[in-house]
Amino acid sequence: MSGFFSNRPACLGAAITLVVILAVVAGPWLSIYSPTDMDFLALLSPPSWSHPFGTDSFGRDVLTRILYGARVSILVSATGVCLAAILGTAAGLLSANFGGWIEAVLMRAADLLLSFPSFVLALFLMVVLGFSIASVTAAIMLVYLPIFARLSRNMATLVKDEPWVQAARLFGQPVYSILAREILPNIAAPILVQAATGIAFGIIIEAGLSFLGLGVQPPNPSLGSIMADGREYFSRAPWVLTMTGLAISIALLGLNLLGDGMRDLMDPKLRSRI
Amino acid sequence: MTTSLIWYSQRLAGALLLAVLGAALIFFTMHAAPGDPALAALGEGATPQAIAAFRLRWHLDEPVTLQFIWWLSSALRGQLGESLTVASGTSVAALIAERLPNTIFIGVYALILAVLMSIAAGTIAALKRGRNADVIATSAAIFGISMPDFWLSYMLIYVFALGTGWFPSYGFAQPQVSLAAAIHSGTLPALAIAAPMAASFTRILRACLIEELQKDHVRVARSFGYGKFFVFVHFVFRNALIPYITVIGLQVRYLFGGTVIIERVFGIPGVGSLMVDAGFARDFPVIQACALAFLLCVLVVNLTVDAICTALNPRRAG
Repeated sequence: MSGFFSNRPACLGAAITLVVILAVVAGPWLSIYSPTDMDFLALLSPPSWSHPFGTDSFGRDVLTRILYGARVSILVSATGVCLAAILGTAAGLLSANFGGWIEAVLMRAADLLLSFPSFVLALFLMVVLGFSIASVTAAIMLVYLPIFARLSRNMATLVKDEPWVQAARLFGQPVYSILAREILPNIAAPILVQAATGIAFGIIIEAGLSFLGLGVQPPNPSLGSIMADGREYFSRAPWVLTMTGLAISIALLGLNLLGDGMRDLMDPKLRSRI
Repeated sequence: MTTSLIWYSQRLAGALLLAVLGAALIFFTMHAAPGDPALAALGEGATPQAIAAFRLRWHLDEPVTLQFIWWLSSALRGQLGESLTVASGTSVAALIAERLPNTIFIGVYALILAVLMSIAAGTIAALKRGRNADVIATSAAIFGISMPDFWLSYMLIYVFALGTGWFPSYGFAQPQVSLAAAIHSGTLPALAIAAPMAASFTRILRACLIEELQKDHVRVARSFGYGKFFVFVHFVFRNALIPYITVIGLQVRYLFGGTVIIERVFGIPGVGSLMVDAGFARDFPVIQACALAFLLCVLVVNLTVDAICTALNPRRAG
């Protein structure tokens, strides 16, 4: 752990992530406004002490809307990425352990999903499933499924013939127990790192879909739908879009720095390179 | 020669297989979508006769597998059906053919910008490792991968279109009509797509260059009296190029994904904005064709990247 604390960018990342999580969890108690309260005396007012990020065209406080919208965005992205991590890792473990046609079928399926531009895949799924929060979650899951499948299969292939796994096989441990107790703990770290960066990029996918109007639908605020609002009057009130995007960028910067730090910690060989 | 020929044909066969499987995935998923395409095309008030005629014309009453074979075989002949709602009655193939050059132009422009920016930033960062220039480049790179690209495009519009007025904030001149005008109007969209990609390219190039710089053959070459620049170009950069180009190949799917939303922001008539319009209008033939066009673009780029990497390192094919 001392390695982590001596890595200043990683600590910065952890601090940003912590602040973001606290702000999003405690958002309703932090703000004196509600995300839907309209103030017709303060339409499109620029950032000030009473409204640090300004107000939108209905006089709603942008910072409050970001805090509420971020809850939706983070929840959607984290759910999608976690589902992808669980299903993808299961597919990867099965492929590595059994090989043969199971591996061929699962890995070709992963290749197929990886051949589509990620955002096109998400967009396509939105059209098929309809525009809703559940569809956005499914779209993010589908984008990340092949990435986790490939990663876990490659890592599991490396450890599946290690002596302790062979010993477990000789002792007659059932296959599911070998996969869950012997192999999974040894490949968990890179999967967690991938999940951290995955949640960061998932937030961008959610924001993009909702920004186009295909994702989370109003009146639910999400980071993308707030920015879509802000686009309408961007030349008159640039702060709505600017502040929301800046908030996303800083939150994702935290997650990405944290992911980098975790990667360095796991693989000291890699640290000498970076 | 023969081994590499076999290797190339295996790659080509693999890509073709992925293309057919991808087409099947698109078709069958689309088919499972709720909503009747006949109703989507003709509107809620359509007469039963009109719906029946429509279903007959587009083979909608036949088994799904037969429909797929019919769709795939006509797609191979360049016929992708007609648009239902977005540009009702227009041939989908014509719509794609008209818009694909714009998407490819923006994509290639963005790729060139990303490669140029990342080679400059990655090289400086690796050579000045740990100094200010490195800290600036690596910080900019990690911020670059954290930004939503469509947000960046509005920031670019604010500064370079509304502020300085150097570039248009909306609209696009087609490259076939005027290349100079296309480059001018395509700069901001290409920059918005390029920046996050340049950031991730810079990170990988810097890591690869630093690894190569520490290798024994580099020290030996320097001790033989070869110049710093010569050693860097011939022994360091060349070896770092293979993982760098591989990563570019992997990132191409984000490149084409990025065009979808950026085309909407800048009003570029490309395949991405067409797909979004078709998504809103539930124009199934157009959505299928757009997804297929994007899939083929990625497959072509991946094959090219494979070929370049093998040319740089012929051992791969052996």
